[in-house]
Amino acid sequence: MAEVVLQLVGASCRHYISAPTLTKPWKKIRGPGIPKIDLALHRGTILGLVGPNGAGKTTLLRMLAGVLPLQKGTAVFTSLKGGQTIERELSTSVELRKIIGHMPEQVRWQGRKTVHDAMIEIAAMRGSSEHRILGLIKLVGLNSRIDSPLDELSQGMRQRLTLATALLGSPDILLLDEPFNGLDPVAAQAFTQLLQQLSEKGVSIVISSHQVSGLIGIIDRIALLHRGQLLIEGEIKSVEKELELSDRFDLTGTSQPPSSKLIEKLGMELLESETEQDSWQMQLKGNPDGVLKKLIGEGIEVESWQPHAPDLVEMLCSSTGLRVEDVGLEITSSAFLPLINREVEEE
Amino acid sequence: MLLMFPILLLFIPGMAWGFSDPSIILPGGHRPETPMEVLFYSSLGIVFGGTMCAVLMAFDGVSKERASGVLEVKLAQPMSRLSQTLALVHGTSIAVIIPVTILVLISAVIIRYRMGVWPELIDLVIHIIATGLILIWYTLFTLIASSKAREQGTAMAFGVGIWFFFTFLWALVTSMVAFASGIAIGQDNDSSWIALEGALDLFSPNGVYHHILETRLSGVQRGVSDWQIWIMAIAWTVLPLWMLAKRMEDLVP
Repeated sequence: MAEVVLQLVGASCRHYISAPTLTKPWKKIRGPGIPKIDLALHRGTILGLVGPNGAGKTTLLRMLAGVLPLQKGTAVFTSLKGGQTIERELSTSVELRKIIGHMPEQVRWQGRKTVHDAMIEIAAMRGSSEHRILGLIKLVGLNSRIDSPLDELSQGMRQRLTLATALLGSPDILLLDEPFNGLDPVAAQAFTQLLQQLSEKGVSIVISSHQVSGLIGIIDRIALLHRGQLLIEGEIKSVEKELELSDRFDLTGTSQPPSSKLIEKLGMELLESETEQDSWQMQLKGNPDGVLKKLIGEGIEVESWQPHAPDLVEMLCSSTGLRVEDVGLEITSSAFLPLINREVEEE
Repeated sequence: MLLMFPILLLFIPGMAWGFSDPSIILPGGHRPETPMEVLFYSSLGIVFGGTMCAVLMAFDGVSKERASGVLEVKLAQPMSRLSQTLALVHGTSIAVIIPVTILVLISAVIIRYRMGVWPELIDLVIHIIATGLILIWYTLFTLIASSKAREQGTAMAFGVGIWFFFTFLWALVTSMVAFASGIAIGQDNDSSWIALEGALDLFSPNGVYHHILETRLSGVQRGVSDWQIWIMAIAWTVLPLWMLAKRMEDLVP
């Protein structure tokens, strides 16, 4: 496993929310956020940070980016110098921001300022050179738009510009909040390749998303966040295994579907099945060795056989032990996940 | 700023042109006799036009970038929030101060042309410093509003509201305090009215601005010492700046 580059230990950041009373109309209490989290980012890996709306993904990314302060806990940065690893506790948000590039969600660049001028403004805050600015504009594919006013950019182009600003300081860690929103499939593909190149160069990347399926094939590790808590984190395979979501396969076929007896005989478990007039599809779980060959041997007309990628709801259900039917579609319901004790609300 | 420039042109050099007319007689029979008096009267244009420019320049200084997400990109850079705040105040206020200062200098040329005498250098310097300060104050008030407001409309309303309060309604506040204190309102020869008005003006940015300008006029006695004026000028600068810096420090993008 790649070495740890940044570690959050007991980190906490909770938002203050208004809770006015008759005698104290200005009263504020600590509301949602991240009550306490331990998270390690590994060098050269891509971590998918997934969770439903309101899980705390953006708050966690902002904590990592040094935009929100760590109210409790520490951030420890490990750097490589002359073959030696040096651990350093980052005591200020500015120190954290030096090593991190942050791409917030859906930045709407606007105004008569040009792409180049917007980059210069941000680069001045990092001390980046003109050469670096031009290189990044080219890298994100905005070279032909370098003198275009920001008002004339499409959302996808704005996303690229935000990415370019995030890469300005040659960061060790790159944080991307829902980066694929607004990108067309071609741009998304190019974007994915760029992320993989950066990862190969040793940059640690965190991508937040509420869709697991969009991240499969890109990420090396996954972290599941819900209501400010890190439910599970690790390599995809091990997380799937731990959540008992591994060894699942989607099958489709025509004419007669395999009987449940046959499936049982093959050592597989039937999870879901749906039959239409001339076609069927089902989801099986178990050891796949030789199963497909045997099914075909039994005269079953199989059209497709592919591993099943778990989705967010499945992962949440599995990690909390509850069923979707038990809680309905409201996955952010307070009854869905028993929370850890957040301590008494503080003023 | 381009939109406001004709108004500023009319208000600052225009007023200097009018007040430096050798045949002008103001209501009450008063006649501006020195270049500094003309500058003092034409400062009315700065109070009305210059401060409004500062409000219009600053009202979306924070809220626009906050709403668009650009603020988060900036706050993620390795530059302290205090430095970013100072840069914001500097950039916003200087965008108004430079054109207004140029217009004040043009006013000085107009005064020379009309009255045949240049304003004294020290008078001009004090006038420019005071003008710079009042523009910074209004920039700060509006940036605080902009940092508080989630949308630009609220920031705009708050900035214009502050401007309206100190520019138009402050006379009402002065009158009410005078009435409550048993002082006859608006009696120019009543020393207690003059003293009360002078003291209350310290609590208004426009009042402090005119107090500073009055330090260069002879024969004006409003019961306020120079050191009190400069202390209040510092307070009007430091307190809003501290409030803005504190606000920016705690700001969640």
